[in-house]
This record gives sequence, structure tokens and C-alpha cells, in this order.
Amino acid sequence: MAEKESQTDGRNHLKSGLMRESLVSSKLIQTTKNKTVRTMVPGLKMLAIGGQSIMDRGKEAIMPVVDAIVTARKDHKLIVGVGGGARARHTFSIGLDLGLPIGGLARIVGGVEENNRDILQFLLAPHGGITFVKDHLQDIQLFLNNGLIPICIGQPPYHFWEPPSQEDGGLPDNGPDVGLYLMAEVMGAETMILVKDVDGVFDQDPHKFEDAQMIKTTCAEDLLNGDCDDLPVERELLRSLSNARLLKSIQVVNGLQPDNIVKALNGEHVGTIIHSNKEDMA
Amino acid sequence: MKKDGKIWIDGINNPLNNESLSSKKLRSSIKGRSTISILPDVWVIKIGGQSIMDRGAEAVLPILDELVKAKNNGVHFILCCGGGTRARHVYSLGLDLDLPTGMLARLGASIPVQNARMLQLMLAKEGGIVAYPEEFEKLPFFLNSGCIPITSGMPPNEFWEKSSAHGNIPENRTDAGVFLLGEFLGAKGVLFIKDEDGMYTDDPKKNPDAEFIPETTAQDLLASKQDDLIVERVVLDYMTRSDNVKKIQIINGTVPGNITKAFNGENTGTVITA
Repeated sequence: MAEKESQTDGRNHLKSGLMRESLVSSKLIQTTKNKTVRTMVPGLKMLAIGGQSIMDRGKEAIMPVVDAIVTARKDHKLIVGVGGGARARHTFSIGLDLGLPIGGLARIVGGVEENNRDILQFLLAPHGGITFVKDHLQDIQLFLNNGLIPICIGQPPYHFWEPPSQEDGGLPDNGPDVGLYLMAEVMGAETMILVKDVDGVFDQDPHKFEDAQMIKTTCAEDLLNGDCDDLPVERELLRSLSNARLLKSIQVVNGLQPDNIVKALNGEHVGTIIHSNKEDMA
Repeated sequence: MKKDGKIWIDGINNPLNNESLSSKKLRSSIKGRSTISILPDVWVIKIGGQSIMDRGAEAVLPILDELVKAKNNGVHFILCCGGGTRARHVYSLGLDLDLPTGMLARLGASIPVQNARMLQLMLAKEGGIVAYPEEFEKLPFFLNSGCIPITSGMPPNEFWEKSSAHGNIPENRTDAGVFLLGEFLGAKGVLFIKDEDGMYTDDPKKNPDAEFIPETTAQDLLASKQDDLIVERVVLDYMTRSDNVKKIQIINGTVPGNITKAFNGENTGTVITA
């Protein structure tokens, strides 16, 4: 759509543009479905560090991950994001008890992720770690081209506007996994590695069930429709991934074996790869 | 200090401690909770972009007069602006350039802010102030001091707006932002002021046979597969799961008296219930 009608007067007039149209019309919306969209930051890779799975384990787990990031950044353009962990769960527990609406929970939870971001920034500061906040998203190339390591929180900035949840329990569907994925997707990142404390996605929680089976390769739809009670990633991340335009697969790796981080960034399959949809799995 | 290898918070009965928030069992164990209302006496009102603002003084001024009268009679409200024609133009330009949805949402966010600033200038002498999302924790102060908070209808998603299964235009625009704000506040009502009497079976500006729909439900509208609607589809989807806002009302602001009637609880226009 939107062929140029005339540029004779120097202005960009758009033929069959959206003027006077209801943007709600299903027919009109379908005409706007482009197969591909443009990439904002070519070559970017997103590293999502788990809050509960890595940060809450303290020095023992965090320092090897920090070392892996220092090694990896020599060969890769990285953004490092982080979740909230135990303090996020505590925030939700108190918020639930007080009867805060979902938009209130979403507004306050980012505060504990800022703790984790600031800790990682401190640890990575000798190597160029800087805090990366949403108002500086468009400055990203300044940071990357100067060899810095931008470190950000994961929670997307929906705040009071967090939609009613699709899942039970009235907790925000959108957590740090979703926020970091969406940031990676809008920038057109090449890959997203989710650093957790399990080898990948299992059919049940491997910390609780010894006979849990690991799934090496899967797709968003299969995980959403499957009967896994628990997953190491947010379900809304899977729903977002299934509508991907650019970033069509993510990998969940075990960060307690930090070699996995460098391997995964180099394109090796060391954890579970989740594809956007069935067709991409082939 | 550590338990199961993790630094943990002791001494508090925290049902989520050391749990995966993705667990269906965990989510199910906390469902059905009740929530508090944040500002239950406040109306959240959308001033249509294309339908009102783009018509200029002829449409805007009588609506502002009616709103100011209501405020002086003790009705509390927050005004939220739509984008309109300029938003459509920048979406067209962005689509032409194959920009991603998150970028289109960022572009679309600027236009309703312009409209909010215009309304603030028009309403300054009556207490109109621009309230940005970062200042929403001061809304009680603004309202108690007799001000009219005016804001953009867009939710703050911007670069974090999700790609949709359908088109590339952001699904959450100003209707969604207004609805979600009302839902968060537990508002007294959510009112959409437009230039049509309400919703029709098709766009009445293009199809003279379109029939008026005075009352309907979000479920019925979603199931109807009607091509065009008067509110964004995600609003209907959110309504099916909302805790607080179970009814929205779309009224024709170009007919004097309609806004006052809606404040008085009359079902003018189209009422959509959850």
C-alpha cells in the first residue's frame, strides 16, 4: 500500500493511505501486513540474565556469567538485560495482599530489576558496562560503537497500562522475558539468549522431578498448547514470539555452566531453541 | 542466608517465593483475588482525534464548554486525546518504509501529545493542565485542586508494542490506552466522545444502509466478525477479562447535551458491556 501519488510539490502524499480510514477495519489492517520489516541495529544480540535463576544465587553464579559477558563482548554486539527474581516475587506477594490492581503491580515491580541492573553495571563497569534506560533506546549505537555494554531492566514500560492478564491469578502477563524480547525484536536483533539455571525447557520442572525430559527444539505454539505446567520462560514471551517479524528464534541456556553463553552467542545449540512457529523449525 | 543455593527473604509468608511465575498451578492458586479502586469517582474521557480534534473549533469548543460546566458542577474527569489524521499520515509513512510495529507505536505517540497540549491551552484558564504518565501518582493533587488533567490516550508501550498476528499497525492505540487507564483507576466510567451517534453495523460515513447499535456486548462484537468497529478490537478483548470497567460508552459530542446525559447515567450513544 501507500504508493506515492505525486511528489511534484515536494511533499510526500500517500495514495490509498490511511486518511479518513477507520484503523479498526479488519480489511484495512490486513493490507498493512508486510512480510518483513526493516532492521534498526544489525548484528545485535540480546542476553537476558535470569533474576531468580542467576542473580539470586549471588557471587557463585553471577561472577562466571560476568566473565562470560566480558569474553563474549569482544566478538558480539550485546545488550544485557536482567529480571527481578526473589524481590519481584516478594513485591507481587505484598501487592496481591494489598489488593493492588494489575497496573499497580506492573508499575512497581521494575524497581527490583533496577537493583539487579545496577549490580551488573557495577560489576561490568571496568569493562564498559553502563546502565541503559528506555529514554536512551535511540542512543544505542552510541554505546555499542564505543565498545560499551548497555545493561537494562526487562520489565516492559506498560506500567499502569498493563492489560488484564490472560493467565489466572491477576499477575502481569508481561515480565522481563517479554520486555527484553520486544526490545530485541524492534531493534531487529539476530538472537536472544535467555540465561537460566536449567539446561533448557523440560516437560516438567527438572529441579522438582528427576525424570523430567529436556526438549532440544520446539516452537512457541507447541509449548503454549502443550501440557507443561511450568516453563523457564514467560508464556507471554511465547505469544509474542509467535508474531515475530524479525527475531524468529530464541535459545534458553544454563548459565551455571557459563561456557554455554559464549557457545550460544557463537550460534551453537547448547540449550533449548524455541522457534516462532512450526514452519521455522524445519 | 542461602537456601537451595539462593539468597532468599526469610520470615514472610510469601506464596511466590522461589516459585516460577509461569507455573499454571501457581497462577491458579492465587486466582479470584479482589482489587482496590484507585480513583473511583473519576471519569476517563477520550476526545476523538479524527472525529473531534481534526474538526477544529466548531466541534471542539462546544464540547469543552460542556465539560467545564460539568467540572464546575463537581464531576471529576481526566481528558485523554486521540491522534487522528496526522497519526494516520505518519503510520502510512512508516508502513511505506517497512518500519516495525514498535517504531510505528513510537511515531503514533507524538500526535495525541500535540492534541493534549492544544486542549491544555484552550482550557488553561479553567484549570487545564497536561499530566504526563510519569506524573500520574499526582492525579489526586491535580483533581483536588480543581484542575482538569489532560493527557495522551496512547499507552506508554512505544518500542515495546507487540507485533500483531494481523497487520503491522499497532493494536494498542488511544482507545486501548483510555480503556486501560480507566481499568487501572477503577474509574466511574469510560466515555469515548466521537462525531457519530455511536456504533453502526458498518461505517455510516461510507455506507448509508448501516444500522445503529444502541447496546451490545464485547463478546458479541468479537464474535460478529463485523469488519469495522467504533473502538479498537483489543479494547473488546480486554473487556472480556477486565476486573473493573465492565461498560464503555461512545457518544456523539457534536450534539449538545450528550456529554451531560452520559455523566447523569443515561445510555445515549452506544453502550458496550463486558
